[in-house]
Amino acid sequence: MDAKEMIKIDNLNKSFGDLHVLKNINMTVYDSDVVCLVGASGSGKSTLLRCLNFLEKKDSGKIIIGEREIIPGTHNLNKVRQKVGMVFQHFNLFPHKTVLENIIEAPTMVKKIPKDQAIAEAKVLLSKVGLEDKANVYPSKLSGGQKQRVAIARALAMEPDIMLFDEPTSALDPELVGEVLTTMKELAEEGMTMVVVTHEMGFAKEVADWIVYMNEGKIVELGKPEEFFNHPKEERTKEFLRTTMLK
Amino acid sequence: MPSLAHFLHILAETKGLFLNALLLTLKLTVVSILIGIVIGLFFALLKISKFKIAGFISDTYVYLVRGTPLIVQIFILYFGLSGIFLLPDFWAASLALALHNGAYIAEIFRGTIQSVDKGQMEAGRSLGMTKALTLRRIILPQAFRRALPPLGNQFIIGLKDSSLAAFISMNELFNVATTLGSNNFDEMTYLLIVAVYYLVLVALMTFVVSRIEKSLAVSDR
Ligand SMILES: Nc1ncnc2c1ncn2[C@@H]1O[C@H](COP(=O)(O)OP(=O)(O)OP(=O)(O)O)[C@@H](O)[C@H]1O
Ligand SMILES: [Mg+2]
Repeated sequence: MDAKEMIKIDNLNKSFGDLHVLKNINMTVYDSDVVCLVGASGSGKSTLLRCLNFLEKKDSGKIIIGEREIIPGTHNLNKVRQKVGMVFQHFNLFPHKTVLENIIEAPTMVKKIPKDQAIAEAKVLLSKVGLEDKANVYPSKLSGGQKQRVAIARALAMEPDIMLFDEPTSALDPELVGEVLTTMKELAEEGMTMVVVTHEMGFAKEVADWIVYMNEGKIVELGKPEEFFNHPKEERTKEFLRTTMLK
Repeated sequence: MPSLAHFLHILAETKGLFLNALLLTLKLTVVSILIGIVIGLFFALLKISKFKIAGFISDTYVYLVRGTPLIVQIFILYFGLSGIFLLPDFWAASLALALHNGAYIAEIFRGTIQSVDKGQMEAGRSLGMTKALTLRRIILPQAFRRALPPLGNQFIIGLKDSSLAAFISMNELFNVATTLGSNNFDEMTYLLIVAVYYLVLVALMTFVVSRIEKSLAVSDR
């Protein structure tokens, strides 16, 4: 494998109290890869994703981002998070700020980029997600799909190396799912390294380089989409595919 | 009850006398509310901090203030501390009112800060913003906005509570009204007059708060 390792997870464990949510997770994400995390509700997908930008604190194991293992307390997590963008199911836009202000907030306040420059860059991002005309609108005036595209632009404004998506289309009306998936597909085509928790099997099939199926805190199966969907190896994967594909 | 004509006559005649009292009441109220906001924000932040001891200090403060009458607090600051240092009456009253309002304002801020969706903090953190920066830029502006209606309510209470400064001989509205009333053997007229002054001030305050609310509401969901 020539590609650079962007994320390496080594024997990751995480519990909430007595609930062992992530059990010995091992996984590597290479540069420009799109990894789709699938699995039933409660299987630990979000927790795994949140461990990757340290919104959740792991109990044991290693998380290597880029070249080095990230150790909370030793490394500056704020610096790490600048390189690992995250898109949430419920968008989490800042409601008291306009679309443009949402996007330039972190670049100007964290990276101290001059405001003019940040605005210019934000406008490029907005046109990329097809919302250049919404720059001065407040989030409350946007549809769900538009909100999520702004959230993507906001994360991209920090110029991350990796983007994490936690069910980015699950809170959307069905007719708005497509526009967000299209934006994500374009991002994937540009070579962004992405880890996507999703229930959109069509998207996973089409865009993912790898599918990771999780069940009860373990990675059950990991494969290329073609193999994963057409020739799943594990009984539990087959069962999962049967139930999700029926929907 | 005084006749309406008598009431209006006295109202017009005494407006000069009441003007200074009104200004003093306003000064007491505004100063104590501004300081109270700072105190309230400080204790609200202590309360939500991850340090248990900070939360305990905040709880204790709120308990002490809410558990004792304001008049006792004013007397303690004015008379009680006089052995250590003498607080001028204006500052004794202002500080007592500020400490008193501060406890209630702390509870207001604590509630509205905690009412901001936790996804907001996560979004800020995920962008590489520190906790303090996210608090300042993202959480507090939203918490302030939500705090405005209950704060407006607290301001009104603070305005009326400032009448207790009369008991350390400050010539604010209530004191002037009772003094003039007893000097002229006409207590009821003067009490009604001072009630009108308070009603006007409350109306003004309500108006100002609702204007601020409206001007901040542009982005409301
Ligand atoms: N902060 C928390 N405290 C306690 N338990 C939690 C917490 N977060 C998640 N859990 C529990 O951990 C388990 C895994 O949750 P997680 O959110 O990672 O699942 P998921 O695969 O993302 O599910 P979904 O598809 O419903 O989003 C669940 O049982 C959940 O209830
Ligand atoms: Mg989840």
